[in-house]
Amino acid sequence: MTYLLHLVVYLSAYAVIALSLNLVVGYCGMLTLAHAGYVAIGGYAYAVLASVAGWGFIPATAIGALLAAVLSLAVSLPSWRLRGDFFVLASLAVQALIFSVLQNWANPQAPLGSWQNLTNGPYGIVGIPDPSILGWRATTPTSIAILALVVATMSGVVLWRLYTSPWARLLEAIRDDELAARAVGKNSRIVKVQAFAISAAFASVGGALYAAQVGYLDPSSASLGESVLMLTMVIIGGLGNFKGPLLGAAIVVLVPEALRFLRLPEGQAANVRVLIFGSLLVLAIHLRPQGIAGKYRVR
Amino acid sequence: MQTLLSGLTSGALIALLGLSFQLVYLPTRVFFVALAGIYSLAPFLASALHRGGLGWAVALIAASIACAAIALGLEWASHRRLARHRASEGAHLIASLGAYTVIAQVIAMVWGNETKPLRMTLDSVTDLFGMRITGAQWWTLGAAVVVICSLSALLRLSPAGLRLRALAENPAQLALFGYNIHRHRALAFVLAGLIASVSALATAYDTGFDPHGGLHALILAIVAVIVGGRDTFAGPVVGGLMVGLLRAQVVWHSSARWEEPATFAVLVAFLMFRPWGVLGRKARIEATTQ
Repeated sequence: MTYLLHLVVYLSAYAVIALSLNLVVGYCGMLTLAHAGYVAIGGYAYAVLASVAGWGFIPATAIGALLAAVLSLAVSLPSWRLRGDFFVLASLAVQALIFSVLQNWANPQAPLGSWQNLTNGPYGIVGIPDPSILGWRATTPTSIAILALVVATMSGVVLWRLYTSPWARLLEAIRDDELAARAVGKNSRIVKVQAFAISAAFASVGGALYAAQVGYLDPSSASLGESVLMLTMVIIGGLGNFKGPLLGAAIVVLVPEALRFLRLPEGQAANVRVLIFGSLLVLAIHLRPQGIAGKYRVR
Repeated sequence: MQTLLSGLTSGALIALLGLSFQLVYLPTRVFFVALAGIYSLAPFLASALHRGGLGWAVALIAASIACAAIALGLEWASHRRLARHRASEGAHLIASLGAYTVIAQVIAMVWGNETKPLRMTLDSVTDLFGMRITGAQWWTLGAAVVVICSLSALLRLSPAGLRLRALAENPAQLALFGYNIHRHRALAFVLAGLIASVSALATAYDTGFDPHGGLHALILAIVAVIVGGRDTFAGPVVGGLMVGLLRAQVVWHSSARWEEPATFAVLVAFLMFRPWGVLGRKARIEATTQ
């Protein structure tokens, strides 16, 4: 039962992350490799504020979301000028810079959370406290799973309302023909900044959930491999609608769990998992470019 | 001087891989991320062939040919099909990323995730003008000079090389002249696989190799392409040397941990303020990527 509850938390966190990435990749049509960076910012914000300052889940996650939204300018401003592969490269640079900051903002002599040692560098942050809300602390697997489900449902409802709003149709119009959208008076630059900020904020919420569940966070949470995994979720599941990313998140979380039953050697299981995702990525782009349940093809 | 030599050597390796990336990117517009997998594979293949009884020279050549064959296989099985369906740059990139993932994981499953050495003995050291030059550095600089000069001659003097440049300039017009575009695309992939394997083997001889190191090396190579100029074959060479020298200076003046931030800060600066690179032609980037 505890195992299933852990799965619920992971599924909730990755569902929020996939839905947030869909806003940028599916609705804006911009492939980004920086998303893991924003997930990590949310995770680190929660970890530092909860561990050092004793903050509750809601204020710590809100600060993380605000920080991620502001830092999303690092990706949204280049999107004004860059398209295609060049935008991917710019997002890769942002991911590498976020990773470097998390890796290097450390000083073993200074206490964790101080200005000299904000992230504890490659050692990461251990013993992240269980999430607490208004004095209630989620200490059991059941309570953490309920919290994760509530947060994921609320995030999902907000994102679903966004996906079905006129604003999302404007995003699709800009994605399909930016020049035409600008010609009818739409400010594509502001809309892109909004989309990236909202996406980064929700990604950070997913990161906070993940950090609260695992209790440990290190810079590898912002690595390129994590960004590729998140991109795999939305491309396999599908882009440009609500159900595609949810399906992708379910596949990415549940396939490794299914592999446990094959009793693969410990050292090979992780490789087999990534091998399957790589193969699915190739198959998806050749056989079903819109993903299993999506409606937008990667351009 | 020692820092300069170190920067030149690592820059030469980046330049070689950048050149192989550019060889595919310019004529085909395929963002060939799977090159990172081929780069990772070359030393594993050479090492396995050597253990299987082949001499080092034969093993290295056979590994390079196998890498070229894999690059060609990826073009035939994946990118050529996508190009036929007029797939976008993004679709090529994702397919190539998937292929890289598969290659890297297969390597890890067959040979393990650990870093391995290609050279089992201590490297020789030569003193020259007050600099200490290792055998690996001699091999790297020598291989880089030979490959760059040979490729330059091929692209400038041979009919196939000239047609490859024409394909990079205007593929539609080359096809109208009756040339087989697919054959020239295949040539680009084969050359890329060969040159990437040379860079990989030289790096492995110096510092060892592991299944996942290819992606980092390729990212540095792509930075070199952007810095040097994305619309010339000389761009990656100039960019590679600049990136290598920059990284060596950063290590010398501050710390190795600032190598990556400095490299990617330079990438951001070039993308934002000089996207055509040092040698490229000035053009609005939107016009070339839509």
